[in-house]
Amino acid sequence: MYKITFSFEDGSVVIHDANVGDNLLEIAREANVAIDAPCSGNASCGKCRVKLIEGELDSKRTLHITDEEYEQGWRLACVSKVTGDVKILVPDIASAYKSRMKMADLSSPEEVAIFSNAMKDVEMTGISLHNSLDVIEVEMEAPTLDDTMPDNERLMRALKKYFNTNTVRIPYHVLRKLPDVLRKHDFKVKCVVRTAPSNMFVYDVFGSEEEVLIVGLAVDIGTTTVSAVLLNMENGEILAKASAGNGQIRFGADVINRIIEQTRPGGKKKLQDAVIKETLNPMIANMCQSAGVKANQIYRMSVGANTTMNHLFAGINADPVRTEPYIPAFFKTNSLFAGELGIAINPDAHIIIAPNIGSYVGGDITAGTLVSMIWNRPEFSLFVDLGTNGELVFGNSDFMMSCACSAGPAFEGGDISCGMRATDGAIEACTIDKETMEPSYTIIGDPGTKPVGLCGSGIIDIICELFITGIINPKGKFVREGRRVRHDEYGMGSYVIAFEEEAASVKDIEITEVDIDNFIRAKGAIFSAIRTMLNSLDFDINMIDEVYVAGGIGSGINMQNAVYIGMFPDIPLEKFHYIGNSSLTGTYLMLLSTEAEKKTYELASNMTYMELSAVPTYMDEFVGACFLPHTDTSLFPSVMEKMSAIGD
Amino acid sequence: MPFNQKPQKFNAKINTVKIGTGDKAIEIGGESSFPFYSFDAPVPVTQKVGIEITDGGLEAMPECIRAYYDGASSMGDIARKAASFEGVDFLALLLDGGDPNGANKSTEELIAIVKEVAEAVDLPLVVEGCKNVEKDAELLPKVAEALQGRNVLVMSEKEENYKAIGAAAGLAYDQIVGAESAVDINLAKQLNVITTQLGVNGAKVVMNVGTAAVGYGYEYVVSTMDRIKGAALGQNDNMLQMPIITPVASETWGVKEASASEADMPEWGPVEERGIDMEVSTAAADLAAGSDAVILRHPKSVETISRLIQALA
Repeated sequence: MYKITFSFEDGSVVIHDANVGDNLLEIAREANVAIDAPCSGNASCGKCRVKLIEGELDSKRTLHITDEEYEQGWRLACVSKVTGDVKILVPDIASAYKSRMKMADLSSPEEVAIFSNAMKDVEMTGISLHNSLDVIEVEMEAPTLDDTMPDNERLMRALKKYFNTNTVRIPYHVLRKLPDVLRKHDFKVKCVVRTAPSNMFVYDVFGSEEEVLIVGLAVDIGTTTVSAVLLNMENGEILAKASAGNGQIRFGADVINRIIEQTRPGGKKKLQDAVIKETLNPMIANMCQSAGVKANQIYRMSVGANTTMNHLFAGINADPVRTEPYIPAFFKTNSLFAGELGIAINPDAHIIIAPNIGSYVGGDITAGTLVSMIWNRPEFSLFVDLGTNGELVFGNSDFMMSCACSAGPAFEGGDISCGMRATDGAIEACTIDKETMEPSYTIIGDPGTKPVGLCGSGIIDIICELFITGIINPKGKFVREGRRVRHDEYGMGSYVIAFEEEAASVKDIEITEVDIDNFIRAKGAIFSAIRTMLNSLDFDINMIDEVYVAGGIGSGINMQNAVYIGMFPDIPLEKFHYIGNSSLTGTYLMLLSTEAEKKTYELASNMTYMELSAVPTYMDEFVGACFLPHTDTSLFPSVMEKMSAIGD
Repeated sequence: MPFNQKPQKFNAKINTVKIGTGDKAIEIGGESSFPFYSFDAPVPVTQKVGIEITDGGLEAMPECIRAYYDGASSMGDIARKAASFEGVDFLALLLDGGDPNGANKSTEELIAIVKEVAEAVDLPLVVEGCKNVEKDAELLPKVAEALQGRNVLVMSEKEENYKAIGAAAGLAYDQIVGAESAVDINLAKQLNVITTQLGVNGAKVVMNVGTAAVGYGYEYVVSTMDRIKGAALGQNDNMLQMPIITPVASETWGVKEASASEADMPEWGPVEERGIDMEVSTAAADLAAGSDAVILRHPKSVETISRLIQALA
C-alpha cells in the first residue's frame, strides 16, 4: 500500500491508499477528488493534467504534455500508474468543472424575472397556475373514554367530513409524528395534502397556529450542469436557486460514455449516486439553508433532463437508449418518489418527469418548448437548446418538429482545454484588436476577479474575433503570427488570451487549434441540424420568424458573433432571443401548475421527431458547416459584408 | 414529331490550366458542359492522359508493365521510354519511396531523381509526393524549387500541409498546386478557399478530389465529382471551378483484382489483362464523372483511354 497525496491550489489535501500499478485517475475517483476527464480516461482530451510534486509516477508520454511541461512535472492522470508514495498537485483547471456550487443572487431582478415572465406567458394562454397541493385546517374533537377512535382514523374522519373524499392515506412518517402534534395543538391542525377527486394524501401535519409553507423543487439535470430552484407552491415565488457541475462528469463528458460506464458492475448505483448524493443533495441543503426552509417541506419535485439523464437519475438501465432500435425504459412515468431515490426531501414527494419524446430528445426539450411558447403562436419559431446534445424544435401553433444533434460539451466549456461553465472567473466576452492582436475581455464575477477559463459565450467571441481579424483561417488554423500566437512542438497553434501572470491559474489561458476544431464541430452540428430540418419541411431560413436560444452557454452570448461564426442562420438579429435555462423554467411551470404539466404531455405527444442520422444529406450539411462561417458563403451575406469592411 | 434538342447551357466554365512549357505544354479544364457533352457546348480542350512512373524505377513495377520498359537502365531512360508510348500527354512521377513508413528515401535522393527525370523529357510534368503529410511538406517545396520554370503540377497539398506546399508551389516558385481532398465536395471547396486565401492564384490550382478503384466504394467518387461539376457550372461557384486530375493507377494496381496471380485465381484469367481492365474501367468512369485528366501506369491503358477520349471528343 502506498500513499497518494492530492493537494489543491487552495492548500487542502486528500490522502488515499493505492497499490503499485493503480491508475491515478481511478484513484482520484475513488478518493472523490475531482479531476476532469471528459474523454473518460482515453488520453485523448488532455484535461486531467496534474503536477507531480514528490515521488514518481509511471506515466506514458502523450501529445498533451510538452517536453518542457514533462520536466516541470506535468502528467496526465489517466495514463499515470502508481509506483510508490507520491504527492500530486491538482490544479484548479482540472477540477474547475466541479466548480463550486453557485447560489444565485435572487436580489437581482433578472434572475427572478425569467420565472415570473414565464408564469405570465402561460397564464395568458388560459392555463391556471394551480396545483393539487394544499394546506387545510381541520379541527377534531379530542378523544375521550367514550370517543375511542385512534388518531389516524380520527384525522381521516375529519378530513373526509370537511372534504368530499373517499379515501385518505396517511404515510408512515406522518403517522409517527401524529400523536404528538395532535395533542400538542389540542387537535387543531393544518395538513399539507394532495387533493384529488376521490382520494387524499397527507404529506405532513402541523399545529394550526404554525406558518406552513409548501415548497417545491424544480431541477434541470443537464449532462454537464445541474440547476435547481426552490419555489413556493402556492404562488410560484422563487425561494432559492443554485447550480453545480453534474458529478457524473468524471465518468465521461457525454451521455454515451456515461451509459457505457453504467453498464459496468455497480455502475447504475455509481452514476445515480454521483448525481443525487454528490450533486443534488448538497444543492438542496444549501438552498434550504438560504431560503430558511426545511428539506422535509419540499413536497413535490420536477425534473427536466434528457432521456439518458432521466434514466441514470432514476437508476434505470439506460443501455437500450444507445443501442438499436433505441427504445428507452420510459418516456414518462409517475412512479418515482423521493424516498426511494434517496433524494433528501420529503420521502413521499412525488417526482414529475418532463416527458421524453425520443432517445435523444428528452424532457429538457419538452419543458423548454412549453416555455418558448412556440406552440401558441402562428409565427414560425425555432427553439434551440445549446446543451451537450443540441436540440431543436421548429414550428408554430399548428405543428412542431424536433430533432437532436450531438454537439458535445463545448457550449458549456467542456472539450475545450481552458473551458469552464459560465461561473465566476469565466471569460464571457472578448474582442481582439486587428492590428495589435491584443484581447480585451470581461469576466464573470465581482470586479477584480481574475480569469480562470473560458465559458461558451466567451469561446464564441474569441473564435469570431480570431476569424474576422484574420488570425485564423476558416478552418480554424492559425495563419498570423504574433506575441500571443504560439505553436507547440507538433506545430499546433494556440492563442493566449491571458498569460499565467494575468490569470488565476497555473497556466496560460489559451485557445488551441484543437479547441477551435471542437467548437467548430459543435456549431456545425447545430447549424446543419437547423438546415436539414428546415429543408425537410421545404422551408427556407428566411422563413424563420423568431429564434429562441436556451442553454447554459451564458447569458452573455453575443448573437451577432454566433451568426458570424455560422452557428445560427444569417437572419436579422432582432429575431434572436436568449431565454436562459428553459428546461429549468419549464419544469418549474410543470411543478407549479397541473395544467401546465398536462400541456407539456400534450406538446410531447404532438411533436414529430426527426432522426437526423437517417437523413442522407445530414453528413454533407455537417461537413459544409464545419467551416467559418460556412463552405457556402452565400448563406452568410452579412458575414461577408463584415469581412470585407474589416479588410479595408 | 421531330427530335428537338435543348442544349443545357451554363454561364460558367471550368478554369483552363496550362501545365508545362513550350510546344508540349498541355491545357486541362476549360469546359462549360458536363463531360463528353459536346452536343451541349463546344469543348475547347479534351481530357488529358498521363503515364506514371515511380522513384522505385523498374523494380517497383508489376512484371507486366516492366516488360514495356525493356532496355531502360536509369530513371532518365525510364522517363524517355514512358514519354514515347502512344497517347501520353504528360508524365507523372510518383515519389512514394519518400514515405517514412516505407523506403524512407531522403529528400535529397528524391530531388536528384526528380531532376534526372525532368532533364530527360520535355513533356509536361506532374510530381506526386509520398502522401505522408509531414514528409510531403518538406519534400514538395523542394520539388517546386528544383523544377522552377517548368510550370509543373505539384501534387498534392492537403488540409494538414497546405501552407508549406501551397506557399512554395503556388507563391514562391510559380508552379501549379494540386489540392487533394478525401471524396467530399465540401472538403474540396474548403481546401480551395484556404489555399486561395493564402494568396495562391485560383487559376493555378488543380483538384484531386480523391478516387477509388471501381467496386471499392466508387459511387462516392462519382457523386462527388458530379456534384462538384454541377456546383461549378450550375451555381458558378468559383471555388469549385478548378479542373480535376485523378491519379487512377495508385488506386487500381493495389487491389486484388489487379494483383492476385493467375496461379492463385485461375478463374479470373491473366493478371495483366485484369490490371489493365481495372485501370481502364476506373479511368473511364472518372472521366465520365468529371475528371479533366487521369494518371495511369500501363501503356495499354494509356493508349485505350486516349483513344476513348478522341472518339468521344
